[in-house]
Amino acid sequence: MEKALQDKARELLEAGDVKVVIGYGWNKRKTQTTPVFITDPADVERLVFNPLCVNNLSLYLTRQYKDIQALGKPAIVAKGCDIRTIAVLIAEGQVARDGIVIIGAVCNGVVYRQELWKGELTPEIMPTKCHNCDVRNPHIADHIVGDPVDFQPPDDPSGMVYDKIGALDGQEDGDRWSFWMEHFERCVKCYACSKICPLCYCERCIVEKNMPQWIETSAHARGNLAWNLTRAMHLAGRCTFCGECERACPVDIPLNLVNQKLALTIDDAFEYKSGYDENEHPPLIVYSPDDEENFIK
Amino acid sequence: MSESYLKKENLTKLIEAFTGGGGVFIAPTVEDRQIFYRPVSTGEEITFDYIVPKNSHKEILFPQTEVVANYRIGKDAVDVEGVEIDPPETVFFGIRPCDAASVASLRSVFTWDFIDTYYTKREEKTLFIGVACTIADDSCFCTTVGVTPDGSEGSDLLLKETEGGNYIVEVVTERGGEFVKRFDDIFTGPAPGGAVDGMKPIVDVPVLEGVNREKIHDFLKNTDHYENNALWGEMARKCMGCGACTFGCPTCHCFDIIDEGTAFGGERRKNWDACQFDFFTTHAGGGHNPRDTQYKRWRNRFMCKFNYYPNKFTSKGCVGCGRCIRVCPVRLDITEVMEDISQQ
Repeated sequence: MEKALQDKARELLEAGDVKVVIGYGWNKRKTQTTPVFITDPADVERLVFNPLCVNNLSLYLTRQYKDIQALGKPAIVAKGCDIRTIAVLIAEGQVARDGIVIIGAVCNGVVYRQELWKGELTPEIMPTKCHNCDVRNPHIADHIVGDPVDFQPPDDPSGMVYDKIGALDGQEDGDRWSFWMEHFERCVKCYACSKICPLCYCERCIVEKNMPQWIETSAHARGNLAWNLTRAMHLAGRCTFCGECERACPVDIPLNLVNQKLALTIDDAFEYKSGYDENEHPPLIVYSPDDEENFIK
Repeated sequence: MSESYLKKENLTKLIEAFTGGGGVFIAPTVEDRQIFYRPVSTGEEITFDYIVPKNSHKEILFPQTEVVANYRIGKDAVDVEGVEIDPPETVFFGIRPCDAASVASLRSVFTWDFIDTYYTKREEKTLFIGVACTIADDSCFCTTVGVTPDGSEGSDLLLKETEGGNYIVEVVTERGGEFVKRFDDIFTGPAPGGAVDGMKPIVDVPVLEGVNREKIHDFLKNTDHYENNALWGEMARKCMGCGACTFGCPTCHCFDIIDEGTAFGGERRKNWDACQFDFFTTHAGGGHNPRDTQYKRWRNRFMCKFNYYPNKFTSKGCVGCGRCIRVCPVRLDITEVMEDISQQ
């Protein structure tokens, strides 16, 4: 499959319309994959695709990466989960559908963290999103590499993240509060979660506004809660569960739990899952006259 | 350099004796499946199987956030009251030689043109008990920057693990010697009973062949290369500016002063900042930002560690602990950049 990917990349670059292929390559020691930006058709052999390709590369399509935009029209190697994010970016007007070329990669799952790889992709080292994936065959793409797979995800979301959400739902309010305050205590306000999230593309995040300072930047309990809850709310209905925020967090806060809980809540209220249709807007950013008003009592 | 001996089973006794007098004993411990330095109250809480914990002594000497002044806004005047800190006596147990070498780096910057008492008072009260490295991983590169896995610089006591699972204690500083004397019922003489409990081999961390420090030094000194946008742009293109490297790094020291409060009063705080953040170099008044794209910010990080900092101080800008490599979500490896520049 890598050969097909490399051939496609070479073809696109040589044709001249695409100026850069954003994909995965090895680091020098060949122990982990890392984002690569191929501009020369002679370099396409650097492109790889394997279970270590965890990054959501759609990040580099967002507005703040002006250096990458200056390279020219991109083709992007994307797994189904990454394409879901691209769909939301298109729906929100951040990326033009005809401004990018999507090379969809058929995916059988990735590792939760690259350090866990020991040579074989076993279910225990795969993140919850892979066990529930319904886009192993990319759903929006200009080209697809890899043979189609036949994988049926469970009817109801299941796996570690959903089990934990269920456990938290069953707890008393006080216990849930303590659970989260204990985790948020570790937050050091590095904002890695926001930087790696392709949907956190605001060029001036609310946390960077300092006249007045709406959200405190200090890493105390109050500031951490304000930051993490604000980010979760700004992602509600938009987050596509790529899991990068949790992977990027240097102090291992289980961010998937809060973002996925909100995704389940949005699905209950609006029957909406983000990232499947690039023409559909996430519910919290539009007003529709068809919105139910059953919450008005 | 005198030697004594410390048995792991006596650690709880040591911790209790020290904390009983009001001290804080910080050691590596497992928290939510990861290893962090945290205060402990028994030896059982300590984990010994680590390369470097996720956090470093920086959190103790230079907290992520702290109040430096309180203010009240009255009708005619603003009352400002500075905060004086009185840190407790602290033992920082299990510091690795790379981290220990970086204590001098923080000290240089916080005692340079202004004596920062929020740092100095904490350092004065902290005793560093180092543990030499018997394991390493491929992100470690201490030897490439002039630190060794059994280096004693920065530690008051340097512990070396034995095959029997205990420690040979090397007294490095006077302060370390006084600590051993203070607890001389816990620190015993060399190898009790004449039994030989040999030292475990110190791990070999090979110097990275592709890195040539003189070449890097010369390259960075040349300001034309600084403007060589194509090279830096390519090397740092994938950086997304998360700042995780900066916050984990034991030598990174930038901070921001902010006020938090209401119209009637509040706190002035000193918080960690990172040159990787978008608005780090945004100028007041005009809003111009000389480092307006990410590769320029990453270039600064490299220059600061290997050019600006070494020009000012004899301490190191980088000690090769490898935290930046391990934590980077896009695996932007500082040693790869060192290798690339060595070939220019």
